[in-house]
Amino acid sequence: MTPAQRFALIAAAVVVLVGGFLVARGGDDKSTSTSTGSAVSTTLGTASAPSVTPATGTTPATVTTAPAPAPAVPAIVVTGGKPDGGIQKIEVAKGDEVRFTVRSDVADEIHVHGYDLMKDVAKGGSVSFAFPAKIDGIFEVELENAGVQIAELRVSP
Amino acid sequence: MRRLPAATLLALLTFAVAGPGVAGAHGLVGRQDLPIPRWLFAWAAAAVLVISFVALATLWPKPRLEQVDPTGGRRVLAVPRLPAEITCGVIGVLAFLAVVYAGIEGTQTETANLGPTTIYVVFWVGFPLLSLVFGDVFRAFSPWRAIGRAGGALLGRIGGASTPEPLTYPERLGRWPAALGILVFAWVELVYTGRYDPSQLSFMALGYAALQLVGMSLYGVETWITRADAFGVAFNLYGRIAPLHFEGGELRTRPWLSGLPSLKVVPGTVALLCVMIGTTSFDGFSLGPTWSSLAPDLQEQFVDLGLSLEHALELAFTVGLLVIVLLVAGLYRLGVAGMRSVGGTTKGGELAGRFAHSLVPISLAYVIAHYVSSVLYQGQAMIYLVSDPLGDGTNYFGTADRTIDYFISATGIWYLQVAALVLGHAAGLVLAHDRALVLYRKARDATRSQYWMLAVMVGFTSLGLWLLSAQAQ
Repeated sequence: MTPAQRFALIAAAVVVLVGGFLVARGGDDKSTSTSTGSAVSTTLGTASAPSVTPATGTTPATVTTAPAPAPAVPAIVVTGGKPDGGIQKIEVAKGDEVRFTVRSDVADEIHVHGYDLMKDVAKGGSVSFAFPAKIDGIFEVELENAGVQIAELRVSP
Repeated sequence: MRRLPAATLLALLTFAVAGPGVAGAHGLVGRQDLPIPRWLFAWAAAAVLVISFVALATLWPKPRLEQVDPTGGRRVLAVPRLPAEITCGVIGVLAFLAVVYAGIEGTQTETANLGPTTIYVVFWVGFPLLSLVFGDVFRAFSPWRAIGRAGGALLGRIGGASTPEPLTYPERLGRWPAALGILVFAWVELVYTGRYDPSQLSFMALGYAALQLVGMSLYGVETWITRADAFGVAFNLYGRIAPLHFEGGELRTRPWLSGLPSLKVVPGTVALLCVMIGTTSFDGFSLGPTWSSLAPDLQEQFVDLGLSLEHALELAFTVGLLVIVLLVAGLYRLGVAGMRSVGGTTKGGELAGRFAHSLVPISLAYVIAHYVSSVLYQGQAMIYLVSDPLGDGTNYFGTADRTIDYFISATGIWYLQVAALVLGHAAGLVLAHDRALVLYRKARDATRSQYWMLAVMVGFTSLGLWLLSAQAQ
């Protein structure tokens, strides 16, 4: 192979890769305008407890004073120091507001990692969180003193 | 040598049963990277293939990296050798003592104590990153090397001629102790439930340092550091990638990667690299859904055997860790077996060793892909931890109230991860190509042998990409 051929091959490869990158990135933006707003879904549930929906029935005592909360605020119910239905998933797009409520039958401190928000919850009480999703990533929400993870907050860009 | 893996397993199992942890199993950082999106995964996988084939067609026909003169290169910096060595050594020993002290005497809240972040972020990921640019930095700061050398010098002065010569290091042992050391460290980091417990970490660090001192006093400081000290050996491997290196008080330049071909391959070198790649892989794998659905079943099996929930989970993770390491080793040996079929008289084991150095950049790429965000984010914790190392409210430098600034977006992290894997792949390819040109006299055989090595590397890189992507969703 002559140097010229070699150079041409490398140049062609670079063009293909850069072009491919731009096309792939652009194409994705249109196809997946992912779910906006917060949604809670039960995942990572243990095999023995098939999909217990946490939010139904147990409407949390409304703490928010906002007159029209458009989507239902996801509620995480802690029974016996563990989240009902396994670790709850909260998914939000970056820039939106994260809202959720924790109802617990044990007294502890709720810690949202990364955002480093902490609120105490009394035994049998509930506590609400509402904050803007500024940092992307996957964060743990846990009962700080017990060291038990109750939810996974997923903020996608 | 056959007995070593079995002994490892036994040691780990005893450890798992004997040492119940107290701390929770949640992460130190509390933040995980988002999985890379599907389009980026697809693009990166395609890029790896394109780069591989273009490289095959265009890379040099005569070995280049193999013949680099280590004394060549430009001198960047010269320092008086002995004072510099003593200064670095003292800094290393003081830092080590500070971390150990903080771990034992400070708060046992893992995120407020200097210990866990220093060990898992600054030491375990920071040194590889520094080594990538500046060469083997750890060698200068290694606390046990400093103490060993100081002790040796002192003993030489007092004892004079009566100082006993060090024993001959068993050639068969090679780098196996280092491989075992990295495996045990990874086990503590990824499996053990007390992984973030500051005081336990301190005692383990002391134990490790003591073991190194014994080893160095038996076999000599230099031999021990380059063969058996897990961190000394691993960080030295990464340092060989760097375009800079220290030699006799001088910082000199050299071409990228040119420190690797001169790596002396002794028994255990391939095992060490497979452990390094395999344990990082397991770290990614254990966060994904495949493992999350597998682990509880495995745990249940062990509970049925009479283990407690916690120990059963540890045992399940131990099994997972070992299986992934063995899979990585198996994939590499498969490639070597394929290469043998091309011809030549080299034995499989020897051939595996001749190409081992090409795995070093891939291993570093895995480290960067998995831990770059922990350095960029959790690394900032050092700013407030050094001000309040014990977590008791002191504020030595006035920075104790700082918080972590998440200054790079998830998208930025994705690009860094993918870039690391793709570049690591290309570097491995170049090294393997260069070595093949030396081993096979005919250029055609060299190319044919490269198909196999190429397949192995595409395998490793795809595995790395997969660990970052869909499987985590």
